[in-house]
Amino acid sequence: MLLKLTFNSLYARLLTVGMTVFAISLSLMLYMSVEKLRTSAYTSFTDTISQTDLIVGARTSSVQLLLYSVFRIGNATNNITWESYEDVINKKEVAWSVPISLGDSHKGFRVMGTNSEFFKRYKFRGGQSIELEEGNKLDDLYDVIIGAGVAEKLNYSVGTPLIVSHGLQSFSDHDDQPFKVSGILAKTGTPVDNTVIVSLEAIEAIHVDWSTGAKIPGQITPVEEIRQMDLSPKNITAALIGVNSKLQIFQLQRWINEYPEESLSSILPGVALQELWRIVGVIENLLLGISVTVIFTTLIGMTAIIFSSLNERRREMAIWRAMGASPKVVIGLLMLEAFIISVMSIIVSTVMLFLTLYVLQPWIDNTYGILVNIEMLAVKDIYIFMLFIIAASLVSLIPAIRAYWFSINDGMTIKI
Amino acid sequence: MKYIIYILLSFNLMTFTISAEETRQVDKHEHGVGELNIAVEGSTIEFEFMIPGADIVGFEYVAKNDEDIAKINQALKTFDDYTNIFTLPSNSLCELNGQKVALKEEDEHDEHEEHDEHEEHDEHEEHDEHAEHAEENHNEFYAKYSFECGNINAIKEVNFPYFATFTNSGELEVQFISNMGSTSFGVEGDKPLINTDGKI
Repeated sequence: MLLKLTFNSLYARLLTVGMTVFAISLSLMLYMSVEKLRTSAYTSFTDTISQTDLIVGARTSSVQLLLYSVFRIGNATNNITWESYEDVINKKEVAWSVPISLGDSHKGFRVMGTNSEFFKRYKFRGGQSIELEEGNKLDDLYDVIIGAGVAEKLNYSVGTPLIVSHGLQSFSDHDDQPFKVSGILAKTGTPVDNTVIVSLEAIEAIHVDWSTGAKIPGQITPVEEIRQMDLSPKNITAALIGVNSKLQIFQLQRWINEYPEESLSSILPGVALQELWRIVGVIENLLLGISVTVIFTTLIGMTAIIFSSLNERRREMAIWRAMGASPKVVIGLLMLEAFIISVMSIIVSTVMLFLTLYVLQPWIDNTYGILVNIEMLAVKDIYIFMLFIIAASLVSLIPAIRAYWFSINDGMTIKI
Repeated sequence: MKYIIYILLSFNLMTFTISAEETRQVDKHEHGVGELNIAVEGSTIEFEFMIPGADIVGFEYVAKNDEDIAKINQALKTFDDYTNIFTLPSNSLCELNGQKVALKEEDEHDEHEEHDEHEEHDEHEEHDEHAEHAEENHNEFYAKYSFECGNINAIKEVNFPYFATFTNSGELEVQFISNMGSTSFGVEGDKPLINTDGKI
């Protein structure tokens, strides 16, 4: 009976109530999408590299080493010599290793030199391997394998010729040694998608006529001659390492960090990710703070709307009283009203959230590389909803008490 | 995501490079910050502590008198019983099967090697360096414990009575690795535990 009354009363004010529900839903949706993006960003982030125990590079901060070796953001301060790399991988603790050489680019995409171990050992998202979508591995010196993102954005297919540029933002190209796409990788949702992969030997080959970062004037070694040369790598940018037993990892890490011949750094990827996330966390909390404030403001908004409608509804209340409703029932009615409004808002906001996510998911993935999981609500969300309902009902006590006071004073005749 | 990181980088990160032509390097040493490495493999879990002397006994010079020596011996004894430092849930059925406790005094910087390599170096300079070292001697408590566990997955948290045991102690920086991957924790006295649920 009470419920039906409230529903009818709300229905009679469909437009105002509808607007209120919409406003609250929007703010709830804002909060939930921030939460969703936050958790998805974290998972995408931590999923970028898995099962690699150590990353070795020149001495630098752990975050920077992680960023340039895995995320291809920023640059290495130094490379490491092949001799040091060999010293490291000859340690008995090392099970496998993947050398990585960075520094060149193709149309804004990073070129990475590596060997076949990369395809076997690089794992992401809890142990998934990268796979060739089409084409073959690096069979020839001038073969490249491109990530799904590169193929899509540049509209490349197997067999497309390409030229590697020297450095990351330079106008000098290695145009005397053209490459050709031999394979395209399946989409991974990691920076590999935006990487052009060549062999370590190819990196050496394109720099045959280069010295200290500049082309030696007039010197062009014919490709046939380069193919005959010894192209074993002289230095690399970083290396991914797997150990035989996790128990040996810290011993190996210490050995590398104290390696006397060259200043090296070795990091545990998860530890560096955590460190990086602590920095990102500041902004995360800021976003969360903003959305909580928005929810709070909408709650106040809802109270204001109930308040302002009270005057118009004094007659309605007089009728309730005439029908035998006690002032307490009036309070109950108004709280019930707030309860219904908040529950409706939650339903509307959830529907809106999933619709928006469904529409925006491919765009977010493509633009920012964050795969937003569209999954059922988490337990935490349910808690937040419950908290919201309780808060809404409590806040509605303020206009309810005023209505109680009105209904006692007014009785059945409205004194204005 | 790249953009977010770029923005953050612009005001957050600094990098240090050290030229490697001559290899002189010194380990980092921060008073108030102890290091702990935890590694899990199969049913074995290992804890490795490296803690600045100042955090344990309140000084870092070479023990000067009997009182200092007694303090160091007492501290080493405290480390001998790992339950003074950390505790594991009893249902994990972990049994200690190896431990090593030591006081590592800062090495004399490979004195002999230095002399051999740089014979032409001015001797006085070398001596000066040594004099400095003697004054700011750093020492470190090193402790390693290895456990075999009947039910290693039951280690959902590790508690650290360490903070209560050593009143001078500051923070513990923890590096953690298991088959689930690596992560880090910062532990302080006001919340002396780490949550390893789902990480082993």
